[in-house]
Amino acid sequence: MSKAYLNYAAKRLIQAAVVILLAYVFTFVVVSILPGDPITNVLNNPQNGFTPDEINEIITAQGLDKPIPVQLWTALSGFLTGDLGLSMRTNRPVATLIAEVLPSTLVLASAGLVVALLLAAVIAYGTQFLPKRFGQGLLRGFPSLFLSVPNFVIGLVLIHLFGFQLGIFRVIEPNSFWATLFAAVALGIPISAQIAEVLIANLDHESGQEYAAVARGRGLGQMRLFTKHLLKPSSLPVITVIALTIGELLGGSLITETVFGRTGLGSLVQRSVSSQDLPVLQAVVSLAAVVFVLVNLIADLAYPLLDPRVKLIGPSARRPATADEGFTDLSKAVTP
Amino acid sequence: MTIASFHSPSRRSAIGRLASLRVQPTIVLSIAIVALMIAWSITPGLFTNHDPINGVPAHKLLAPSAENWFGTDHLGRDLYTRVVYGTSSSVSSALIAVVIGVVAGGLIGLLAGFFGGWVDIVFARMVDVLLAIPKFLLAVIVVTAIGFDTTNAAIATGVSAVGLFARVMRSEVIKTRQATFVESSFLLGGSRWHILWRHVFPNASRSVLPLAVLQFGDSILVIAGLAFLGYGDPPPASDWGLLISIGKDYLKWPWLVYAPAFVTIATVLSVNRISRWLRKTD
Amino acid sequence: MTDRPRFPSVSRRRLLIASSALATAALLATAGLSPALSADSPNNGGDITFLIDSLGDTWIPNNSAISSFQGHIWGHVTDKLLYVDAEGEVTPWIAERWEQNDNATEFTLHLKNGVTFSDGTPLDASAVVANLDIWYAGRKAEGINPIGLFPKTYDRAEAVDAATVKVFFKKPTLGFIPTLGYHGSILISPKTIAAPANQQADLSKTSGSGPYVVESWKEGDYVKLVKRKDYNWGPAAVGHTGPAFLDSITYKLVSEPSVRVSSVLSGQADVAYNASPQELESLKEEGFTVATPRYLGFVNGWAINTKLPPYDDVKVRQALQAGINRQEIIDTVYTPDWKLATSFIQSNVPGATDQSGLLAYNPDKAAKLLDEAGWVKGADGIRTKDGKPLLLTLHSNPYLATSKSVDELIAQQLGKIGWKVSIRAYDVVTFGQKVKYGSLAVPAYEVTRSFIDAGTVASILTNANNGENWFALDESDKALNELRDKIAGAGSAETRKPLLDELQKYVLEQGYFIPRTQIVQRIYAQSPKLKGEVYNGVAYASYYTATKSE
Repeated sequence: MSKAYLNYAAKRLIQAAVVILLAYVFTFVVVSILPGDPITNVLNNPQNGFTPDEINEIITAQGLDKPIPVQLWTALSGFLTGDLGLSMRTNRPVATLIAEVLPSTLVLASAGLVVALLLAAVIAYGTQFLPKRFGQGLLRGFPSLFLSVPNFVIGLVLIHLFGFQLGIFRVIEPNSFWATLFAAVALGIPISAQIAEVLIANLDHESGQEYAAVARGRGLGQMRLFTKHLLKPSSLPVITVIALTIGELLGGSLITETVFGRTGLGSLVQRSVSSQDLPVLQAVVSLAAVVFVLVNLIADLAYPLLDPRVKLIGPSARRPATADEGFTDLSKAVTP
Repeated sequence: MTIASFHSPSRRSAIGRLASLRVQPTIVLSIAIVALMIAWSITPGLFTNHDPINGVPAHKLLAPSAENWFGTDHLGRDLYTRVVYGTSSSVSSALIAVVIGVVAGGLIGLLAGFFGGWVDIVFARMVDVLLAIPKFLLAVIVVTAIGFDTTNAAIATGVSAVGLFARVMRSEVIKTRQATFVESSFLLGGSRWHILWRHVFPNASRSVLPLAVLQFGDSILVIAGLAFLGYGDPPPASDWGLLISIGKDYLKWPWLVYAPAFVTIATVLSVNRISRWLRKTD
Repeated sequence: MTDRPRFPSVSRRRLLIASSALATAALLATAGLSPALSADSPNNGGDITFLIDSLGDTWIPNNSAISSFQGHIWGHVTDKLLYVDAEGEVTPWIAERWEQNDNATEFTLHLKNGVTFSDGTPLDASAVVANLDIWYAGRKAEGINPIGLFPKTYDRAEAVDAATVKVFFKKPTLGFIPTLGYHGSILISPKTIAAPANQQADLSKTSGSGPYVVESWKEGDYVKLVKRKDYNWGPAAVGHTGPAFLDSITYKLVSEPSVRVSSVLSGQADVAYNASPQELESLKEEGFTVATPRYLGFVNGWAINTKLPPYDDVKVRQALQAGINRQEIIDTVYTPDWKLATSFIQSNVPGATDQSGLLAYNPDKAAKLLDEAGWVKGADGIRTKDGKPLLLTLHSNPYLATSKSVDELIAQQLGKIGWKVSIRAYDVVTFGQKVKYGSLAVPAYEVTRSFIDAGTVASILTNANNGENWFALDESDKALNELRDKIAGAGSAETRKPLLDELQKYVLEQGYFIPRTQIVQRIYAQSPKLKGEVYNGVAYASYYTATKSE
């Protein structure tokens, strides 16, 4: 690791920290636009029978009448010292709430990613080796089809078909193996399309290159050629795409968890959104930003290790075509 | 979101490009579908005799037939009519989202790329934040903040796309700015605004167009997702996502889910095909 | 019970309760109460899964006791001082008997002996005092709210001895006794009450004295209850006082109504809460039990804002009353399990009278009334007066899942008479902020509300004594004020009954309240294997007495 690289890495880390902090503040400001919070909402429900005096007393006692900047400062100083605060909706620590649901979302997201990668690989392999007239065109159409189907529709169809009609899984036990698998399929299908598109484009490119022609001339088996020669160089931009899709895995889990009835980060967000539970929303958004930033950092570090053709001269050299230095490495081109 | 596919440049030879100009039947079909959707949204009354809001309660939950192409819903309303009347809101909200994304994102990218320096740095941090928050989560947070209805869902979807357009616009602007004809224009003493307007903007927007079309299809899906979670207009509105969401409560009558889902998929697929075709023929 | 009830007004549940009450009486008379009796039941044991659409928010007992969702769990984990059945009758539970002074400012409660919370603390007079105090005051700075419906006239409570509590009020408070059987008044261990709010929010750390205890739970996912073997103090009114029969009850959150129902249909779960009414018929056809208990309270309907034109005109209000086809609502949105509204309070409330004549569908009468009021039908079918269209904005009640569909149907019905109806459906949050009784944008507030005692109804309607002023009349309607004061001053149920009848008639005649249907806020679809559950006065199902056959 050269000194220049370390300098660059340090700069990147600081930028990442700034982004996470800004995401936290951004969420606070955005959610504060609309008045209301879980506590006031409960007090305002006429079924609960509170008098206006009682409502005012409770709101003052809870510090909800303080100006927004003061509230932001309180929240921010807690965040900086690692305290995520208390959920206003449940009165429990935000960290506990997130720790409870995180494992389920991690399982779903990683299973979704595995499904997406497998599907993408199968489709990409098919486009390279199936006869042109038979099947290839159809396969090449798959990614755009996958991208056109709302993922809640995929989920509903899977539940209807496999849960109720065929009875493969019990819908009310969403954490069972089969239920998780089908949820992962619903989550993974749109994401597989993005990975497949990049994979196909790169395979097309690489297979046109000389060394592949040479390899083919040597009479290598098609599968070996695919794995040994094509998949590896082609996987470089794929890694970048994967890094970019992490955000979509998290975003997609919001709907997938709702459809499949899983308790996870996504369903926590949904419950928090409907009652404007600000501390939880801030924590989840920051967490998503942290994950996104970290994954992209890792993808960048993995880049030079996978492709010997990429030399670590300087940051801009690693990302040709549409390099955007100003926008850090959260954004990057995926063209080889 | 297909950043990836958008960025993979077409590697077709000149001959290949010419060949692709010969419009494929799928493109014709796609354009026809999109044209039909536009017609549905402008003059829905021409396509159906039923009332989208007032049904015949006695005719509730009928299966698809010659009279009710997509069957009827739980209040005896013709589902096909509801889909047709829901087109306007579904299509125009996606349009709002794209316009917000393109205009706000394009402007940020244009300014950042053209002026560089501190302008670039400030905008860059803003865009970083927008890109670091998962797009759907961002849309959900924004729509929570501004209130649940379809227009707000469209605005939220637009905001969630600002980062993408800003980034693409910026890199295109930088590329164009460094191109020889622009540099020579600088040397010839053209004003910055003139150069921005005459050279940089048209060149950069050429590559933004297919992306905007793609984003249109994607916005339909995101807005449908928001409507599905109940963040759009309430019934009797009949946005496609809302229809699917209502339909899921009546899984015994599956056409209530499948019919609006099919229309959504057909539209988004057509839009995606057109975007692809635009990119190739560009 | 396969025979149909002979009288349409007598529900099957009513018969069940009546017969179980008889059985209890017989038991008490002959053998006395013996917990060993129930232990020998052949149906002892079994586990059930109850699918619910939400598990609410916080679990702080004070803040969650009256939740439509958490109330189910609290009903099994905790006991109350008194029991209120589906007919509104108050009977002993933890309080064996009670007395009050003449002007209803002092009450004495005599407690059952030997009752303990699940943490071992005795449920004695000091525990009851701790509960009364926190119901009244909460701990506001900490985020523990008072119980909103607990009488605000409460002064203090004293433990006279271990089994006797004396409660003092600043003003006469007749409603105190029924309040003790209400869902907000759950008895919690003093140790839990003393714990800080964020600890109370952890359900597993809360102890009650009920027949079940929390074994495990996960926020937004499930709550598993297991039976308490030494429980021996159930309410006599349900016909059983020993330990529960079922070993465990799991409340599992499944947000899709269709998924809840299909899971019960396929035998994966035993009870589906809040099934969509459309699916009830097919459930019944397949032999499943469908329960639509009605709580004691107001019917589902609108409180009309009489300050907002054109609803300041009695003729327009009366046209609205006659322009709604209530039978069509039941036929289209609901099933025959729903009952037509016969008044603005549910027909099972003691004191409710049949005012169906005032609620008949008569579009011609409605049209005539509107003509008389000067609203003329235009070319587009919408009536106008002085260039203004006849508008009605409805805000669908987010607490009732079917509210939107009913609104849409009513919009069709009123549209035929010449109304232009627009529907706004807000989420719970926005609804709470924007939709209030008598506010400028709200001509009709959709009521879903239970109450303890019909005597309290009159005082809610106007703005006297912290009333809610439902119709924005303030003190302007002399006739209503007079009825209100007479009802508050009535010494007995007999003198109160004709006054209540008059009140119901007057409010409906004036078109102040426009009933839609009797409300069923809790719908249960249940496996035929599960039997013997009991529904209380607020329509919560208790599985304390239930058994499951294999």
